[in-house]
Amino acid sequence: MTQDMLLTMVSGVPWTIALTAVALLIGVVLGIPLCAMRMSKLVVLRMVANTLILTLRAIPPIVWLFFIFFGLDTGFVSLNPFQAAAIGLGLITAANMAEIYRGAMSAIHSGQSEASMALGLSTYHRFFDVLGPQLFRVALPSAASYAIGLLKDSAIASTIGVHEIAFQASHVSQRTFRGLDVYAVAGLLYILLSLPIAWASRWADLHLRARVAR
Amino acid sequence: MNDLVDFWLEHLPAMLDGLLVSVQVTGVSLAIGVPLGLMLALAVQSRSKPMRGIAIVVVEVGRGAPALILLQFTYFGLPNAGLSLDSFASAVIALAWCTGAYTSEIIRAGLEAVPHGQKEAAEAIGLNHLDALRYVILPQALRVSVPALLGFSILMLQASSLCFAIALPELVSQAYLIGSTTFRYMPILVLAGLLYAAICIPATIAVSALERKLGAHA
Amino acid sequence: MSLNSSSIPQADVASRPPLLRLDAIGKTFGTHVVLEDIDLSLAAGEVVAIIGPSGSGKSTLLRCINQLEPPTTGRVTIGDTTIEAGHTPTRRELMALRRNIGMVFQSFNLFPHLTVLRNVSLAQERVMGRTREQADAVSMQLLARVGLADKAQQFPSRCSGGQQQRIAIARALALDPQIMLFDEPTSALDPELGLEVLAVMRELAEGGMTMIVVTHEMRFAENVSDRVIIMADGRIVEQGPSGTVMRNPQTERAQRFLHAVKDR
Repeated sequence: MTQDMLLTMVSGVPWTIALTAVALLIGVVLGIPLCAMRMSKLVVLRMVANTLILTLRAIPPIVWLFFIFFGLDTGFVSLNPFQAAAIGLGLITAANMAEIYRGAMSAIHSGQSEASMALGLSTYHRFFDVLGPQLFRVALPSAASYAIGLLKDSAIASTIGVHEIAFQASHVSQRTFRGLDVYAVAGLLYILLSLPIAWASRWADLHLRARVAR
Repeated sequence: MNDLVDFWLEHLPAMLDGLLVSVQVTGVSLAIGVPLGLMLALAVQSRSKPMRGIAIVVVEVGRGAPALILLQFTYFGLPNAGLSLDSFASAVIALAWCTGAYTSEIIRAGLEAVPHGQKEAAEAIGLNHLDALRYVILPQALRVSVPALLGFSILMLQASSLCFAIALPELVSQAYLIGSTTFRYMPILVLAGLLYAAICIPATIAVSALERKLGAHA
Repeated sequence: MSLNSSSIPQADVASRPPLLRLDAIGKTFGTHVVLEDIDLSLAAGEVVAIIGPSGSGKSTLLRCINQLEPPTTGRVTIGDTTIEAGHTPTRRELMALRRNIGMVFQSFNLFPHLTVLRNVSLAQERVMGRTREQADAVSMQLLARVGLADKAQQFPSRCSGGQQQRIAIARALALDPQIMLFDEPTSALDPELGLEVLAVMRELAEGGMTMIVVTHEMRFAENVSDRVIIMADGRIVEQGPSGTVMRNPQTERAQRFLHAVKDR
């Protein structure tokens, strides 16, 4: 492995991080209304949300990316590979985040909601002052492990030409006819990138837990 | 609309061939990967340090590296080490590795869910270590793990779509091929999506129903 | 093995050679001393009740006997098997020990994925090498003895706590042990359900089974056991014939404990 090869592969790192971050942001935000719909009292909203979540999760990410990149690109919309990948992975993330929020909601004792209603808190305060902070803490570990999964799924964007790590790896491998070390290094890069997320999540979890326990 | 249906019907046989390959590669990978996961779960808890070390590396790399990279590593990388495999065999190695790594964690959680008193009772009635594992601990651990293992199997069928990258003629490859010859990507990708959804949505619903049922029993 | 074989006369018991001997058993967890210098010998047919405040080491002592908890110091001898603390017993030694000792746990620990019958048969097949037919036949007899033959094909979760504990007794008896250990067998049960378990234990005792029972049931200790041992702070503070110890304890520590229990 020459320095040149290694540098080429490392040049994919910012793209991998950017794609993961943008998709995560889309998912974290869009997951909220999706979760709200999924837990709504209106049957229609619930069914729509449920169908969306099931569909987004049932079809493999690569199909979504191809669909958005090749399928939608029939004239009036034209997306570059990064945009297509960010939208595709972001939508899938939204579906998964909605389920994570819902799991966290049911983990928080219903007594908390009842207690704040009994105190006469408005829906707004009930959500943002009582439930929200607890929700964040409960959802954090699953959200973090989802983020690590997303980081790895972002490799799929190489198939539509986003210049991230996996793309650079196949580029280098095709040019040099070396696969063994190139893909081993690529795998290692992903593992290294996931470590800080795991550490941050563990730190935040301990930190928040200590604060709640006290 | 008629045009779309005709287009789908024309290409449905090729797409179903692709789906069959997807299901086959998933099935073989699971058949190898889940027993591997069981062995890894036991090896991670083993008293022997080298064994534990190897198991941890296999698990952490299998979970830490993207499945796509594992696939490319086995297909494009192993030939450098003198091991040339066809795309199906490469796919099975990579996906079984991935399956082993993830299911070892699922099974380990199942093992930990078995109360300590069960192991003590097995010891007290004189069962040796292997018999205690085989007749008392594992049946209970695996039962707890079943919903998670089934959920993971659904994810593996989806992950098999990545074999597109190593030229395995599975569902996505077929769709891509048809798309590139007819220039009608959108409808063929929709069909591919529908075929995945037709398997994965009912399966997901069934698994969560099973989960609820088992949860209600416990 | 029959419950109806004649009861052993009290005077006979002490003169028999010991079936089980503990010499200077000690157990520490880190710096915490749980058991200190316990000597105990048990003659065949003897029923010993161990009582004492919680945290006194009663259960740990029981678990040291069949090596679920390996003792830190001392020696356990049963028949011609001796296990010395400090060196890991061989598998053969452990098997010899455990085949001769049946144990009943506070929380039953039945195998929830096996039917009642399979719970009782499993060790007979795997440890004694009986065929399934032989094992099941013996299991049915044992289940009949504890009054639960009709539950054979049920799963443990379908049985009451008292029934589960009686099944656990049948499971422990299945290996034809020379000694039965009971670790607070009725503590997890409602009083009413505890009674049916105590009745089975009393029958076993009357049938000549050698038993060590860690218990909070003072009446059982007084009326069924031959000997009572009072433990406190990891030591035996008093022991002797059950009537004497329960009614007329000599040491201050034993008096204090029995007084506290009687107040309840």
